[in-house]
Amino acid sequence: MQLTTAGQDAVTPALRKSAARRARRAQHRRLWPFLLPSALVAFFILLYPLGYAFYLSLFNYYLDTGASTFVGFANYADLFTDTRFWAALTRTIGIVVAAVGLEFCVGLTVAYGLYRLTFGVRALNLLMFLPHIITPVVAALFLKWIFAGRWGLLDSLFATFGFFAPDWLGDPAWARVTVVLADAWQFTPFMILVLFAGLNTVDPSQIEAAQIDGASGRQILFRIMLPSIAPIIAFVLTMRMMDAFRYFDTIYVLTGGGPGTATETVTMQTYALAFRLFQIGKASALGVVTLLIVLAFASIIVATVGRRKGRT
Amino acid sequence: MAAVHLSGINKRFGETHVIRGVDIDIEDGMFCVLVGPSGCGKSTLLRMVAGLEAIDEGEISIGGTVVNDRPPKQRDIAMVFQNYALYPHMTVRENMSFALDLAKRPKAEIEKQVKRAADILGLVPYLDRYPRQLSGGQRQRVAMGRAIVRDPQVFLFDEPLSNLDAKLRVQMRTEIRELHQRLRTTSIYVTHDQTEAMTMADRIVVLKDGVVEQSGGPLELYSRPANTFVAGFIGSPSMNFMPGIARASGGTMQVDLGRGASLPLPAGSRADDGQAVLYGVRPEHFQLGASGLAVEVVVVEPTGADTQLYCRFDGHDVVAAIRDCAECRSGDRIVLAPDSRRAHLFDAASGLRLIA
Repeated sequence: MQLTTAGQDAVTPALRKSAARRARRAQHRRLWPFLLPSALVAFFILLYPLGYAFYLSLFNYYLDTGASTFVGFANYADLFTDTRFWAALTRTIGIVVAAVGLEFCVGLTVAYGLYRLTFGVRALNLLMFLPHIITPVVAALFLKWIFAGRWGLLDSLFATFGFFAPDWLGDPAWARVTVVLADAWQFTPFMILVLFAGLNTVDPSQIEAAQIDGASGRQILFRIMLPSIAPIIAFVLTMRMMDAFRYFDTIYVLTGGGPGTATETVTMQTYALAFRLFQIGKASALGVVTLLIVLAFASIIVATVGRRKGRT
Repeated sequence: MAAVHLSGINKRFGETHVIRGVDIDIEDGMFCVLVGPSGCGKSTLLRMVAGLEAIDEGEISIGGTVVNDRPPKQRDIAMVFQNYALYPHMTVRENMSFALDLAKRPKAEIEKQVKRAADILGLVPYLDRYPRQLSGGQRQRVAMGRAIVRDPQVFLFDEPLSNLDAKLRVQMRTEIRELHQRLRTTSIYVTHDQTEAMTMADRIVVLKDGVVEQSGGPLELYSRPANTFVAGFIGSPSMNFMPGIARASGGTMQVDLGRGASLPLPAGSRADDGQAVLYGVRPEHFQLGASGLAVEVVVVEPTGADTQLYCRFDGHDVVAAIRDCAECRSGDRIVLAPDSRRAHLFDAASGLRLIA
């Protein structure tokens, strides 16, 4: 009698576990159909074009003649030996790092200022978000009037104080600075908004505990608040980095990639390859390479900044 | 260690006057509990001592030094928060050493202090864990450890046991008390739980609407409450208040409670003939007897040690905690005899205790 009871006791948990597993599987089967519509949309507008771009990158395909020859990875080999590609990539990384870095530093400073502010935060927030609401091309036109030589707003301002303004859009070095400033003008508000929201999620009693522990305002920011919002920082940096790699519209209107190729980014080179030289295969290969580079950068940001100690 | 003095403290939040002229003297090494219902200003008062809240009027001194204008870090205090306020991205060790690290103390000293606090609180096995990897009780200990390593003049506790379950709360209560007996650091402890106040305090300060209602030792507050608020707040279940009229009869003063029930004045109290009074009896100071209040039992709650009887007398609820009352049933009519030596008398209008 005792043996039978012991045997039952040994079997029952195993049976119970497998029944629970079956129930879980059945529940998953019921849930899958809910995912199907969005999965189909994701497939047709994301995965299919991506796969097709990769497929095209294996061909020597000219849009104007329609001639298409399978060349394997020759387009990639061509790209990696092309000095213009390396120059555009280096330039793009420089612009991305400078623009996103500037946006983060200014964004964090303003967000912290707003966080400490006790009144008028809402109105200031709205005002600061205005540049981000404007369509990029329209924003670029505004910026063109600001940075235009001789009659631009900035030049006039410099002239008022008796200074000679640099050639914002005509000098290669200043043109790069200008496109960085233009991107920062447009996207710092987004950075402010996200970081301000992030700072507000930090538990106030942690800040008070740090005050009692003897931390200064700077120490509280850098040792308590920023580590607490590391995942939010990783999110906003990744988003902006991915976006900045695709930086096209404002540059197109402001400098058109010039003077020469001084502000030509990878995206602009892709555009030129596809729609000026009609080399769709090569442009697709460049698109795939850009995607891989962005993925690599995103992984680095998530692995370093987004690593939330104690919450993994 | 240091004495803490609060004198004439006032605090307003806009139109709301939350602290109204509070004076409290806390002696060196004392464990003082500020207790009161939600919104009475006890946490605000503690935050003012910590320097987290500005003082509108009055003076706070710690160890003889007025600290009104000093920031928290210059007050040499440590605080344990209700939600522990541990830094989630730091290990237990880092949490505990943070203050010493900021003070740029030598590494060896920091390590020694952390080890000492971890030993006291049984945290040695958890030093390299993150707060989220700890249970509620362990997090609470880390919060206390963070306070201990500083070796401050004053410990401040802001409802530190509120987030723990009942069993752990009792355990941690004992641990905090034990810790205080060991370190003898002046402590100010805020709670809304009168049991915590009674079991932990050397001295209790009862607050209501930003005013100190009474301050004294736990037993003093229990046996000689200054008014009906303190009498009702301290003790569980609460004291019964029965309205009546003081009447001189046959050379002695009696309290007429209506329905033919008349009780002698409680020991040490005084009332004028015809004065409206409240006769206060704690549930544990009733006995089953032949004369007293004839009541009807409504609910019977056996707690093991005693039985709580929820009764009805002349339209009022009366609670009695009686030992050996297993045979009582709801609907029974019984007579509850209050122990007049331990009963209390209050003026019905002001609620103040009537003392001879």
